[in-house]
Amino acid sequence: MSTATPAAPAAPASSAPTTQPARRRRGAVGRDRVNWPVTVLLMVGSLAVLVPLFVTVNMSLKTTEQAVDGNAFSLPDPLTLTSFVEAWNLTNFPRGFAISIFITTIAVIGEIVISALAAYAIVRNWDRRAFRWSFFYLLAAMFIPFPVVALPQIQLTGMLGLDNPLGVAILHIAFALAFNTLLFTAFLRTIPLELEESMRMDGAGTWQVFWRLILPLLGPMCATVGIFAFIASWNDFMMPSLIISDPTLQTVPVLQNMFQTQFSNSYNVAFASYLMAMAPAIIVYLFAQRWVMSGLTQGAIK
Amino acid sequence: MSPSNGPNGLLTRRSLMAGAGGLLATATLPACTSASGPSLLTLHQSKPEAIPHFSELAAEFTSSQDRFAIQHDIATNLSASFVRNSPPDLGCLNYNLEMGRFMQRGALADLSDLPEAAMIREDVAELADWYPTYEGRTSVLPYSVTAASVIYNRRIFEEHGLEVPTTWEEFLTVCETLQSADVTPIYATFLDPWTIAQGLFDYTVGGMIDVRGFYQGMSEIGEDVGPDSEVSFQRTLLEPVQRMLELMPYLNADASNRAYGDGNTAMAQEQAAMYFQGPWAFGEIEKAGADLDLGTFPLPMTEDPADLKVRVNIDLSLWIPEAADEQEGARAFLQFLMRPEVQNPYNDAFLAFGTTKDAPAVTDARISEMQTYYDQGRFYMGASQFIPNSIPAQNYIQSIVGGADAEQVLARMDADWARLAFRE
Repeated sequence: MSTATPAAPAAPASSAPTTQPARRRRGAVGRDRVNWPVTVLLMVGSLAVLVPLFVTVNMSLKTTEQAVDGNAFSLPDPLTLTSFVEAWNLTNFPRGFAISIFITTIAVIGEIVISALAAYAIVRNWDRRAFRWSFFYLLAAMFIPFPVVALPQIQLTGMLGLDNPLGVAILHIAFALAFNTLLFTAFLRTIPLELEESMRMDGAGTWQVFWRLILPLLGPMCATVGIFAFIASWNDFMMPSLIISDPTLQTVPVLQNMFQTQFSNSYNVAFASYLMAMAPAIIVYLFAQRWVMSGLTQGAIK
Repeated sequence: MSPSNGPNGLLTRRSLMAGAGGLLATATLPACTSASGPSLLTLHQSKPEAIPHFSELAAEFTSSQDRFAIQHDIATNLSASFVRNSPPDLGCLNYNLEMGRFMQRGALADLSDLPEAAMIREDVAELADWYPTYEGRTSVLPYSVTAASVIYNRRIFEEHGLEVPTTWEEFLTVCETLQSADVTPIYATFLDPWTIAQGLFDYTVGGMIDVRGFYQGMSEIGEDVGPDSEVSFQRTLLEPVQRMLELMPYLNADASNRAYGDGNTAMAQEQAAMYFQGPWAFGEIEKAGADLDLGTFPLPMTEDPADLKVRVNIDLSLWIPEAADEQEGARAFLQFLMRPEVQNPYNDAFLAFGTTKDAPAVTDARISEMQTYYDQGRFYMGASQFIPNSIPAQNYIQSIVGGADAEQVLARMDADWARLAFRE
């Protein structure tokens, strides 16, 4: 404590002079001074998010005439919601939105359940060679990006009749399997075997152990995987654009592609459409913020 | 505890299976429903500004007969649909080098027996043959052609007592006059590389050399293209590119950080007298909402006014894939689209030129000056359009206007061309 006092005059002590004594007594580290370098960094960081968001909202409320005048920051005058109407109609938003939700829901649930099952089987049978090698086999898939196998995937899904949203969801699950299994196995190793043994003593089978004990214990990791799965699946452009053959079953990001062309700009309509597409991600984030924060570091430790 | 466990676990499993079954059923359902009624025909058309126009035409055709219903596809990836062997029944797209690949590999059906194929002007139909062809087939019917040249502001020209230049010297004089009157002669947008390639580069090259002959030579020489070959980027294109660089002093000073959208806004605000863009820019300039008097003239690159030419490209073309399920319907719809009362209004609305022998002249004052050149076949296609995407030509050209040594960059383009020819 005493070592901190010489430095105090240099720091802007004026920030909260009245409450200083009380804080000192509590002795919380770094609470009596504003950490300016970090504050500035955080301010820049939040501006990097807020400024584009402001421009997006701002642009979406402008008329076409005002949107192309080259001033992104000027306030909308007159304020209009016609861009939203136009974007809604052009992309047939409700249908695209429903398809996107369909794919994302299957992908999120599928990725959590299938990867957790795979990880559980692998970790509990680590001493058997087949399981160990299957783990390495799954991990090897991390080195194969989708674009490399895009053409065969298009042909395969076409042959199997999976050139539709369901096929995209299945591919999302398959391509994320490697990374998700890695996350789950790392976490599973920290769950003591004794818990499981005591449950088996009471007569539970493997399935019951998994559904009633392991999956609930994997909760934080499920949140992490779920969040990654949601973002990846919701925002994916390439896979649906290549795999889905029926234009009426296309997802929102692919439909929105029509706003980005070489020869024309319709910023207001484009931004209105992006806002509508972003809405679920923002809402999910608002509710899941707590888990996102804890979840992001979850995989980092082990 | 354990008795309740058993049924519970079973239930979960059963409902899981039921859920999966339900999902499969919903996924396969749409395929079944389309079997009854008129057969479904897919039109692939994705030029964004024209989507509402073609949606209307599709609806009109669907209601005009009861055998085919048109599904207007704007979202499916075209290459993927060919790979999957489920291509659209009729394509209505910009025709370029990438589309030419489908033609070259024989993926498009022959349409030469259609009376509509004979309606098209010969020199226009031939434009499709600038790209790779497939022996003995006429598969691509040009639907509309856009002509591009220098867009100029008539009011500014009049204000400074300027006439439309017809020789390179006159053009430089126009630039000088404007500049000495503190008017930016030419507005350029270097931030978007494609604007340099299709404007400055294509106009200067197309005005000086025979683009088609050049690329025929380049394809024949292939992997041997280099400093000593008969034609090469570094030898044949050096002079036009040097002329392009002579124009640099007459561009807006902030060209390197201006994008296409900025250029349109600047032209709408009369910040410059000339703009090297195609008719697609008129719609964008109009959005910025000003009452302008704009016109177009071909960029004169020689001292002979007889050399004047405009740059054209096949804005939309019609084709039917070999693997299309509904050939008959696709042909019927193609014939519907080719009717003069259907085709001409499109060209009128999108500032394009008709492709048929009896197409009416354009009426819009902004592009009507190009009509004579188009009628007399005095046109070329952009040189930048014939370089495969694997060679980043637009970026190379951007680096030239950014100050890189033109000879070196053109030599690198030759090396890239030769490497690509060797690989193929």
